[in-house]
Amino acid sequence: MSAVPAVTTAAPGAPVVDLDLADLRRDPYPAYAELRRTAPLAWVPSVGRHLLTRYEDIVLAEKLPEVFSSREEGSLLLRTVGPNMLREDDPNHRRLRSAAEPPTRPRQVRDLWAGAFERTAHELLDRIAGRGEADLMADFAEPLVAANLALVLGLRDASAEDVANWSRAMMAGNSNYADDPDIWLRAERATRAIEDAVARAAEAARREPDGSVISSMVHAAGPVDLAEIQNNVKVIIGGGVNEPRDVFGVGAWALLNRPEVRERVLKEPSSWKRVFEETARWVSPIGMYPRQLTQDHEIAGLTLPAGSRVALVIASGNRDESVFERADEFDLDRPHRPHLAFGGGPHFCMGAWVARHEVSAIAWPLVFGRLKGLRLAEGATASDSGSAAGRLDGWVFRGPTSLNVTWQAA
Amino acid sequence: MPTVIFQLPDGTERKVTAASGTVLMQAAVSNGVQGIVAECGGNASCATCHVYVDAAQSELAGGPNDVEDEMLDFTAAERRPTSRLSCQVQLSDALDGLVVHVPEEQV
Ligand code: FES
Repeated sequence: MSAVPAVTTAAPGAPVVDLDLADLRRDPYPAYAELRRTAPLAWVPSVGRHLLTRYEDIVLAEKLPEVFSSREEGSLLLRTVGPNMLREDDPNHRRLRSAAEPPTRPRQVRDLWAGAFERTAHELLDRIAGRGEADLMADFAEPLVAANLALVLGLRDASAEDVANWSRAMMAGNSNYADDPDIWLRAERATRAIEDAVARAAEAARREPDGSVISSMVHAAGPVDLAEIQNNVKVIIGGGVNEPRDVFGVGAWALLNRPEVRERVLKEPSSWKRVFEETARWVSPIGMYPRQLTQDHEIAGLTLPAGSRVALVIASGNRDESVFERADEFDLDRPHRPHLAFGGGPHFCMGAWVARHEVSAIAWPLVFGRLKGLRLAEGATASDSGSAAGRLDGWVFRGPTSLNVTWQAA
Repeated sequence: MPTVIFQLPDGTERKVTAASGTVLMQAAVSNGVQGIVAECGGNASCATCHVYVDAAQSELAGGPNDVEDEMLDFTAAERRPTSRLSCQVQLSDALDGLVVHVPEEQV
């Protein structure tokens, strides 16, 4: 319990660093490099939090969930979806997590879901293969991961499009710092639609268990009520689309810009796993998440008072030069060091095994295998920051806004 | 207070003493034993706290539970008959002197 009220000012002695949110969205990495060098714990007024940016400090914070609480006061996520496991600490977090988790474990992914994931990927590729051009984000990755998510959650009568739209509406709510009433309205409509869909699915799963997340929560040993299932499904939909989608997009982009690496990976399919982990390190789909201190605590050379709001900037930790040499480079051969992209501790990403499988075992191999002569549209560029083919955007969540490619249509 | 020994991939050895009832992963992490990553903090959902129990002692440590058994199929370093997730090994006086080998890779 974080009974301590939130402190929304800088801790005594904390450096105050002004960062422009538009700059951060365009490319947060130069600002992070500067923070790691000069102010590894800095109060950033535009974000209203202390940013913690060094790898070791983030790892330390993740190891202390009883100090760095997930229960954040005034959280936009709480306002958007209601109480949920992402903003809870143990033991309540653990009760919900263990109820929801079994269908996302790796053996279940392999035995229960992988076949359907693969069929959906083929269907989507069948649809575009003859065209010779597509936006791989909108035409392939997003519908694929949204359909897979509907399946794993057990939302039998929701389409991939429903899931993708709901996700977008909730993400907008979750970052509605400007308090725009239209955004709240859209988010409310989406959450109400999810509540209805979950209620129907839960009813069906009660009669006939189907191995899905909703079914698993309905039949959990520790009791979980319908509202809890609804809110947690909302949270999973909120994050479950953009993260695998964006890893797919960034990794495909990295390979399309690096023909030698791509050739090598195509020759050694086992290296798709490395591509996944290096992509998630290089451009983490989730860049940061909030924590609130339950007690006074010293970290990165400063004492933060109880109630302080902190952002663990995992995107920055993943570029920390003291851990990853030439951290800004995409390099499959770098020495294995654990990245922070899935978070750590009790909140370690529940979708990690689903994402790894759908992206590295299915989506990339099929796209690069089936679309002959695949290349970035309008002239391949060696730049990772942007081109006519698409660009990366965002800092709380980061990924390509589009990925326009061409190939030889069969 | 059982003492356990971690054999690291570079040949060095770390001896750690921990209270009965704590888990092996915790003993490693709180003593800064390199190579036990433990991303998920002990919830048997990341497979980055993998160890090999010394062959002579595998009976002593027992076998994996169901959840653990599944996760062990997905470790970064190969699974062997003596593989365990260190977060699922509860220490007791009976395990005093346990030797475990830390694999080369966890992710
Ligand atoms: S710490 Fe994650 S499986 Fe043991």
